[in-house]
Amino acid sequence: MAAVTLTNVVKRFGTFEVVHGANIDIADGEFIVFVGPSGCGKSTLLRMIAGLEDISGGDIAIAGKVMNDVEPADRGIAMVFQSYALYPHMTVEQNLSFGLRMNGNPKADTDRRVKRAAEILRIDELMQRRPKQLSGGQRQRVAIGRAIVREPQVFLFDEPLSNLDAELRVQMRVEISRLHKELGVTMIYVTHDQTEAMTLADRIVVLKAGNVEQIGAPLDLYDDPANRFVAGFIGSPKMNFLSAKVVETTNSAAIIELAHHGGTRLRKPLCETFPALGAEVVLGVRPEHFFEAGEGDCDIPVKADVAEHLGSVSYVYANAGPEELIVEREASRQRASGDHFTVSIKAERSLLFDKAGARIR
Amino acid sequence: MRTQNATAYRFLTPYLLIFAIFWIWPIISSFIISFQATRTVPWRFAPAFNWGRLIGDPAFYNALKNTLLILVIQVPVMIALAIVMAVLLNSPLLKARGLYRFAFFAPVVVGEVAYSAVFRLMFSLDFGIVNKLLESVGLAKIDWFSNVTPAMALIMIAVTWRWAGYNAIIILAGLQSIPEDVYEAATLDRVSRVKQFFHITLPLLKPVIVFCAVLSIIGTMQLFTEPFLITERGGPGGGTETLGLLLYRQGFRSLNFGYASAVAYTMAGLAIAITLVQLWLMREPK
Repeated sequence: MAAVTLTNVVKRFGTFEVVHGANIDIADGEFIVFVGPSGCGKSTLLRMIAGLEDISGGDIAIAGKVMNDVEPADRGIAMVFQSYALYPHMTVEQNLSFGLRMNGNPKADTDRRVKRAAEILRIDELMQRRPKQLSGGQRQRVAIGRAIVREPQVFLFDEPLSNLDAELRVQMRVEISRLHKELGVTMIYVTHDQTEAMTLADRIVVLKAGNVEQIGAPLDLYDDPANRFVAGFIGSPKMNFLSAKVVETTNSAAIIELAHHGGTRLRKPLCETFPALGAEVVLGVRPEHFFEAGEGDCDIPVKADVAEHLGSVSYVYANAGPEELIVEREASRQRASGDHFTVSIKAERSLLFDKAGARIR
Repeated sequence: MRTQNATAYRFLTPYLLIFAIFWIWPIISSFIISFQATRTVPWRFAPAFNWGRLIGDPAFYNALKNTLLILVIQVPVMIALAIVMAVLLNSPLLKARGLYRFAFFAPVVVGEVAYSAVFRLMFSLDFGIVNKLLESVGLAKIDWFSNVTPAMALIMIAVTWRWAGYNAIIILAGLQSIPEDVYEAATLDRVSRVKQFFHITLPLLKPVIVFCAVLSIIGTMQLFTEPFLITERGGPGGGTETLGLLLYRQGFRSLNFGYASAVAYTMAGLAIAITLVQLWLMREPK
């Protein structure tokens, strides 16, 4: 087990900088998830930790030792690849033992490690099969098994579930979570799927265009995002954003007028930053934080466009002037397409952002 | 559906006719001819005439020996060379990669007569650059065209020069189809580059290598141009005569089509038999 520290880590491909000085402290035994849209640098960051990409600037330390120039095999890490990266011509057993055999590890120890990994992942029955004879989920288990036999200090997962179907993804997510509890080692996991991030992580690192936007526990990011990007990225369905303008300020609040809802105003209590009078702002409201008419601090009329009924809840995609909103409703309060209804916003269940996307608290 | 098929066959008829007349019929006809004595007028059916002669003909055994010798030595050397060339061509460190790929592939495009003429000049006893180079490093010059062993070596060098690059390009395509992350996984497993080559690259290239080997076996069994043009019709004294050359000599110089057809069918049978053995040896484990 080991802590991992990234200090001002920079990655450039030629003159193009893709990671701009990342600072991340990962505690010993922690499950941390790097999440962000495609091209945000999350996989590059993981590959730099693995040693598969050179570091253009800064330091990466594992267990207190700077690893910038250390060979990948000597970093005490094991990696699970998105495409599994199994050796197609070898059986499962050979796949698991290949690295150990090539390095002259004693046979008895190799057998013990392979057997243990097979038991942990319940792949004992598959040992003599080749990768092409396995399902996606089984292949991913073997890939994880290959990481386990190395007995690493840090596990690295590069979007390991993205090639699996939805049901298998949920199942493997639970397995990876169980594995983390069982092994107790540091795990760094890359995904673009915020649901995976929310369900697996002790802490999440949200990345955008090579910058770390926010680091925090899943619910902290959900409830208290640092900016509009994090607010929009974390949570499914995503947060609604309504354009507004500051029409009045006091020493403890700003009164905003929603841009497209007939002068509807909301008093938003603030304690840290105060926007200027007339400033354009954005009000963020999560789908589940739209209340019934009259229950909140301001009401807005909407027209249901499409309704998705998921059983316990429904998501209503509604038009509110030129803005499209996603409204969560209990199943008993379903809305059909074309329905006109009113939703209500509570100031304390909404978030305010400035025009650049920074949070106004 | 039946109407659709009929229409399709009507469209295919011109091609099928040409295929039947110029491909299928010659194959059948030559098989029939191989059972005929064709040096009498009219030809007569004599099953043992050609096939019996084949079994006892020293010229056939000489050509067979030469062909198999080239097959056993040249094909493995060329495939090994092609693998090395493919690995080098695939190296990210290589500059002007496209130029090298073209250069390695170019021999296949060069006309056979032209390249044979150049080879004859290069290996000429007194004026050839090869002997000049040998002399410059203190070695005796070699009479490539008058002695059997150097002449066979010359044929093998020429065939290797012509086809190694072609096979290298095919193997390169195979190399590039191996996913990079398999090597990354091996790197994380502390597997050295050399071990990666022998334990990952070669096994994964096996189907491509088998493909190249089968093509080369078929090509070598039919080898004709090089012994005909470079060592002057299989010289010296039939020392480089191959089955292809024997077939030509019998069919088009002696006009003994019956015997030439028997040789042709022997060549095809041997190519199929060797290829089947090769495929069996390289089969995937179940």
